[in-house]
Parts: sequence; C-alpha cells; structure tokens
Amino acid sequence: MKRRNLVLVAAVGAALAGPVQAQPGEIEWFGSVYAKFLDGDRRLQGALYNNAETTPGEAGGDQGQGIEFELMFRNQISNQVEIGGRLKARFNQNFWTNFGGFGPEEDDPRSAQYVKMRGVYAIITPGYDWIDSATIGSNDFGMFDPLTQGKYRYIDRDNASGLLFQGSIPDANIRWDVARVSLPRLFAGPRFVTTRDPNDPVTRFEAQDAAWTGQLRWEPNPDFNTTTSLTYVRDKEIQLADVDMRDGQDLETRYENLVAMFRADYSGLSAIDLGGSFYWADYNIDSSECDGNINGNCRFSPLLGESADDISWFLNVDFSDFLVSDLTFKLQAFHVGADFMSVQSARREADVLLTEGWMSTWGWGRPDYNTGNRFNGNSTAGIGYGGWNGETQQVVSLMADNDFTDFDEPYAFTVHGYKGFTLVPEYRLGNWEFKGEVTYVDYDTNWQACGSPEEGFRAGCGSKYPRNEGTNSWGLGGDFRSPYSPYQERETWFYGLRANYFLDLGKGVDVELLYRFIDDEDERVTNAAYLADAYDGFPDAAGFALNEDWVPNIGLGGCVSCDDREAEYSQYGVSFGYQLHPDLYGTLILERYDVSLIDGTIDVAPVGMGFEASNDFGYIEYLTGDHVKNRIGLLFNYFLSGVEFGAAIDWFFGDFEPEFYVDQGGQRVRLIPTGDTVATPMGNVSTDKVDLEQYRLKAFMKVSF
Amino acid sequence: MKRTLTSTLAALAITSLAAGPALAKSVVFNDPIGDDNGPGGYTYPTDAVYLPGSFDLTELKVEEKGSDLEFSVSVNSRLADPWGMGVGFAVQMVFIFIDTEAEGGYTDSLPGLNVQFAADSAWNKVVVLSPQQQSRVIAEARVKVAEKLAAGDLVVPRRTTGRGKTISARVKKSELGDGDISSWGYQVVMQSNEGFPDRADFLTRKVNEYEGQHRFGGGDDGDCDPHAMDILAGAGTGAAEEVALQHEMLSYECGADGESVSKATLQMIRK
Repeated sequence: MKRRNLVLVAAVGAALAGPVQAQPGEIEWFGSVYAKFLDGDRRLQGALYNNAETTPGEAGGDQGQGIEFELMFRNQISNQVEIGGRLKARFNQNFWTNFGGFGPEEDDPRSAQYVKMRGVYAIITPGYDWIDSATIGSNDFGMFDPLTQGKYRYIDRDNASGLLFQGSIPDANIRWDVARVSLPRLFAGPRFVTTRDPNDPVTRFEAQDAAWTGQLRWEPNPDFNTTTSLTYVRDKEIQLADVDMRDGQDLETRYENLVAMFRADYSGLSAIDLGGSFYWADYNIDSSECDGNINGNCRFSPLLGESADDISWFLNVDFSDFLVSDLTFKLQAFHVGADFMSVQSARREADVLLTEGWMSTWGWGRPDYNTGNRFNGNSTAGIGYGGWNGETQQVVSLMADNDFTDFDEPYAFTVHGYKGFTLVPEYRLGNWEFKGEVTYVDYDTNWQACGSPEEGFRAGCGSKYPRNEGTNSWGLGGDFRSPYSPYQERETWFYGLRANYFLDLGKGVDVELLYRFIDDEDERVTNAAYLADAYDGFPDAAGFALNEDWVPNIGLGGCVSCDDREAEYSQYGVSFGYQLHPDLYGTLILERYDVSLIDGTIDVAPVGMGFEASNDFGYIEYLTGDHVKNRIGLLFNYFLSGVEFGAAIDWFFGDFEPEFYVDQGGQRVRLIPTGDTVATPMGNVSTDKVDLEQYRLKAFMKVSF
Repeated sequence: MKRTLTSTLAALAITSLAAGPALAKSVVFNDPIGDDNGPGGYTYPTDAVYLPGSFDLTELKVEEKGSDLEFSVSVNSRLADPWGMGVGFAVQMVFIFIDTEAEGGYTDSLPGLNVQFAADSAWNKVVVLSPQQQSRVIAEARVKVAEKLAAGDLVVPRRTTGRGKTISARVKKSELGDGDISSWGYQVVMQSNEGFPDRADFLTRKVNEYEGQHRFGGGDDGDCDPHAMDILAGAGTGAAEEVALQHEMLSYECGADGESVSKATLQMIRK
C-alpha cells in the first residue's frame, strides 16, 4: 500500500491533535544559462532564431550572438504542497550588439532583455483515497494523447495553464486524469483568434475559453492496457443580441469541438505486439464566422471554417525477432480524416506516423528561386535554401508549428487526410544495423472541388477548408500546415534504407549510410469538365501584379494531364562520427539531394492563387525542373560536467535547371525555349540554370546549475 | 550512384558476415513481467511518454562477440524515442552491475540509485546503457562517480541502441576483465534517463511519494528509498516467486525526516 494512504490517516490524526507546526522544505533554485551564436550568408537579423514567423512581417535570422537565462525554483512546502516556477529571458531579438537593451528599440519587448514569470504551478497532494494530486497553474499537459489534448511544445510548455486533477484506483489498476486547459488566444480558434474581433474591446471575450479533458487508463495485467478519453473545447462569446447588461450578459458559442478516443495495447504474444487507437471528432462553428470565400476571411485559419465530423485511427503491429533472430518489423496502418478536427491536437514534438515522412530540407526553403531579389518580401522569409536538418514530426493539426526554430531542429508537418501504411524492418548483423522503410500514402483529401465538382471549387471548398499558404502539393516541399488542395488525386510512396556500422578503427568510427526516395504524384483535375473551374485565369491574383506577359490559358485547352504533378525526391547520405577527444565528439555529414519535378505546364499555378503570384511578393515560385542540392555538414558536441557546447555548420551548394512544358494536342510536352525567359502565371522565368548556395552555423553553450 | 551505393553496402555486409565468430558464449537471465514496481508499490510518472512496461525488465543477455561483450536488456514494452535521442529509445536507463570475481569490489552503488549491495555481492564493474551520448554520460560520471570512472569500473558503451523491445550495446571484454562470463554475477537496475537530474544524482530519475509528470511515485520524498523500478531476483529464471524476492531485496526503511534507516540491499544473480 502506498504511503500516501497513510498520509490521510496522519493528516486526520494531526487535525484531531490540534495545530501542528509546519515544516517547510527548503526552496530549491536551479536553472540554466544558454548562449547561442548564429552565422550564415543570408545576412538576416530578424531574430536569433533561423525561423520566426509569429508576427506578420517578422522573419528569422542567421546572424548574431545572444544569451538566455532561466532561474527555476521549487519548494516542497509540505507532504501536501509543492510549488514551482521560473524566471525566463528569451532571445528573440536580444543580440549582444543591443548593448544591454539600451538602444533605439528599447521600447520593443523583443529586444529589451525582458524577463518573464513563467511556469508557475502548485501541486496539491491532499492524501485522500479518491485523488492523488491537483496541479494548479502551468503545465504542458503531456499526460494526454497527442490527438486529444496534445502536449505543448517545449518552449511553450508552461505558457499553457489550467487545472489538472489526477487519481488512481491501485487495486483496479486504473488511473484517471481530468483537466481544464485555458485556450491559447494566440492561435486556438478560427482565424487564429478565440474571439470574434480582438480589436473590439466591447465584444472581445477570450478569458473563459477552455478545453476540458478526461482520460481513463486501465491496465488489468502487464500485457494489456487501454485508455479512453473525451475532450471538449468551447470558445465562448458574448451574445451580441443581448445588449441589456442589467440582468447579466448572455453568452453564445463561437465554436465547440468534441473528441473521443479509445486506445489499446497488447503484448501477450511472444513475438508480436499489437496497438491501436481510434478517434472521433465533432466540430461545430458559428456559421457567420467565415465569409464563404475561398480566399476570404477564413483562408488563414487553424480550424475548419464549417462544421464537420470525422474519424482517425492508427493500428500498429510489431514483430520481434521475426523468423530470424535480430530481425524486427514495425507495421502501421493509418487513416487521418480530412475533416477530423481536434483543436487541441499537438502542433509539434509529437510524431504520430511511423514513416520518416517528407524531407525536412525542402521545408519552406528560400530565397525564391526565380528572382532571388532580397527586396521581395518573402525572399527573406523562411529558413533558407538548406531547409531544416532535423526529423519531420508529423502532426494532426492545421497549425503545425515551426516558429522559433533553428535549422538543426525537427520540422513539423501536418498529416491531415493521410491514409495508408508503413512497414519498417530493422535488422542487425554483426557491427551493422539496418533500418528500412516502405510507406504508401493515399489521401482523404483526394477530391474534385473539395467533393463538389458541380459547384466548383469556390463553392465546394468555400471557406470550409483553410488553405493557409495555398501551396499544398506545390513546389518542392509544399506547406507544412495546409493539407488542402481544391483539386487533388494524389498518392505517394516513401522508401528508405539506413545502415549504421561501427568501424573498429582508432577509437571507433560511427558510419551511417542513408538512401531515401519519395515518389509523389498528383493528377489534380481528373475530368476535363472541371478544368475551366480550376484554371480560370487566376482572377484572384489580378490585383496583385499578375504577370502581364502571361496569356491565361483558361481550362488548359481541355488537357487533363497538363496539370499533373510528378515529383521524385532522392537523398543520399554518408556520415562519420568520431570521438575526437574524451569530451568532444565530431560528425562529418555528406549528403546529396535530387528532385525531379514537373508541376504541370507553364499555364498551371495553384488553384485559387491570389496575392502569392505577385512577382514583388515572391511567394509561389516556378519550380518545374531538376534540382540538385549538396550538403557538407559538421556537428560537434562537447561536454563537461554541467555544461554542454554544440555546433552545427552546413555548406549547401546546388542548382536548379528549369524545364518548361506546354500543351500540344491535349498532351503535355516539353518546351524548348527560344528566348531568355518563359512567361508563366508566376512571372517571367529565366531559362538559365540557377546556382544556389548557403553557409550557416549555429553554436551554443548550455550551462545547467 | 544508386547502384554504387547498393554494391558498397552488399560488400560491407558480406565482409562483416565473414568476419563474425562462428560460436559465441552467452548467458541469459529472465525476470517476471509485471514487477516494475520496485519494492512493490512504485508507480510510473504520469506523462504519456512512459508507456506501461517501459521499465519492466524481462531479460538480460550477455554474449561474447569476438573481442566484445554484447549486453542486451529487454523490457515489456515497445521502445520509443519521444525525446529524439536518435538511438531508438529515450526514457530508459539501465545499470548492469557485474561481479567479475576480481579482487575487492564495491558494496555501494551509484548516486541516485539509493541501493547498496550485500557484502557477498560486491560488484567490480558497472555497464551503463543510456540513450544519451557517451561523452555526456562520462562528463556526468567524471564529477559524480569520479573514482569508479577513473578506476575503469564504470563503463559506458560507445553506442547504445534500442530496437523492438531490446536495448543493447557492446563493450570491449578487456574493459571488464578476463574470465568466464557465465561464472560472473549480474544485477540489473532499471532506471529512467533523466536529462535534468538532481545535483548529486547520476542522470537518474527520482522516486517520490507521489508520482508526478516526470517522477516515479510510491516511494519517499527523501533519498531513503531505492530508485529502482525493476531488478533481477532469485535465480533469474523469470519465475513468479522472484517478484517477492525482488520486493524483499528492495525493501527499505525511512526515518521521520526522510533519512535512511535501512537501505535496500541487492544480491548478485548467478547462473
């Protein structure tokens, strides 16, 4: 029996005996000092993060030095109370050259070296049978499933606050968790707000918005466990029709979301483990929230613009020592509904799919390939030509979050609408370790005009599907948070082989060989009758300097295959890791990426394209052709007790050789250009090969105390 | 390029196979499932990354592989890497204490485990299986386990990996000493990889009275309780009675202020 149950007896006894002198524990102080050094040849100093995008117009940077500090405290006041919190400074634009914050931007909190109180909590453990603990205040809510109340990402982990109650019935092997999580007004609502109009102080109402989550876990025996949960989210607003406050202000619902989950794992078979989870989500939104225009007020939104319900499920089967010793297989089948809406699903730091997924190096790569003009607003956005180096974290959220990240970190990518399977064999042979992957993805978002081809995409998609950047299935990487294309008929195969070898030479060399290949095809419009609806001359772009030299080819002349997208991504890699010194480990990485891409003929651009087409804006680019990108990378890790140093240095060099295709007799054929440029909806694209390169460095020091 | 890469891989694999030893000596211990509760009442942290069975030791296998010894520790859960450690597992940390029958030995353990060894079960070497980089573990050891590290009695493999349900690593046999591995005594302590350990603890996760998001529960807030979720016991066959033997070995007594009155005392398990 747990001692906690004795605490109740002790507490009751103490109460009967009269007041007892409290025995407060000592307060613990601990924390860290984190210094970061960025260098690169983009010469951007928007922030001390390579990618920063929260504030419109704000960009990241690859320059400068800065230092962060956090001081954490914790106090076990008694057996029944613990409190904690931290004082935290963040980099943002706190460069050392700010000279301590005394400069022209001192009034900007991003560069004023502010320190915020964060992560304050109290944990109450009263010692009752029916409850183990109550946590009041900040929490990352990591005890829940990623598709229900997802864990908040590391840097946001204690921006989130709420109430958490936890308990157990030990004799029945049951645990329960109940939470009320205050809804982040920064992003958790249609149009990224949790009120109708955040600029209207009279009607603005956010402070009572919350998610409620309950979870029950049952482990009847060591080989079987099951979890079920229910999450309810409600965004409340004041009722506009109730203008008489004398009897109080009535409320109404802007949106609400209900998510039910059931998960089970079984490991009672000697060589096979089974696991599965099923989710059902219901989502209702005030029909007046979105204006119904595909490029209207709900185009940029993390939630659906219309009410919907849908399911998602995952099934995992693991085979250990299958047929032969040291051979294992992991198999995952998955289905994420296109209309599955879970507002509180994890945005990052959760990877719900077994596949390695898309290559993070192609995530929001910049500069724009077509002009490279520094003064184009979006040439300086994104993370740069090299993209991200980290793994791809696949999340079920339309608000996949890559804000405040550096190039050596993971890359979050939404997998809404993905369905298929993954097979991962792993095998060890002597000093070799092999890991392979085959994944097939079909899409629940394969539809014509979002399932209403007779109405056309403007009505069919309307404002239901937030397109955000509107470049899903476009260019090299697509967008990490916009899974919806009005016209899509897509399938993707992922293949991979990774081999690790320990070469017993000197202190030992860790060798890794890597090959990955992705075959991605999207037929887009599949019926000639819908071509004119999809390729309508891009009137939405007309007000934004649509290329005047381009003559619209409405309906692509009836050529159904002319808009097909065919992309083949290859990655070859080899790395060598060596313990250079007892404290210093170094890794040399050599990688090569090839992409062969056809994004349709020169008349094709993303359906519904608007302002992104502007040559001055530089957002949607012409990328049909062959791409080669090479990487030479160096990684260093240096440890002393209490301090860690790290460095990542990359040199990228490569080229883009544009190709052009046109319609000839209803077939897509390659165009051999005769001039210096070719007119496309995205501008006049040079026929010359484009050379690209980037150097970037990140080094850090983290001292823990 | 693709063909070249494939050929290279095949050639290296064949070379590796040909170089492998034909016969290998091994020793295997089993442990009952469902006894990942330390002295009987320990509970897992509440964060979802700590999957049921993650610290439920089921098997220790020690196998000679040429001049190396391979240690494989299996648990009753699929391994996962939610913290991006890059080696196939993340939440576990395993200590394998070995009595190599050499002279002397230690009856104390490592900081943060809060266990000791019986006089007739002194250990000579400990192999640490951690998902963290070797140099990170050694940097911690240099301060917190300095003497044992300097003496070469704390061994951290160059690379520890997880696959399926098994965490494994190789070390040079010469680092552990000569002798017949089947005559050595072994004890395994299942712990958790803690990136932010207490000042004195050697990368171990604490056990408190109440489980927290990242703390085990069911113990004591002081350091009088063993911070061990599962160990080998009895004859190491996985028999049901080994559960009670584990609970007995890990039994402890705390004083009113959390000081240790009676410390959990471990025995070596032998074939």
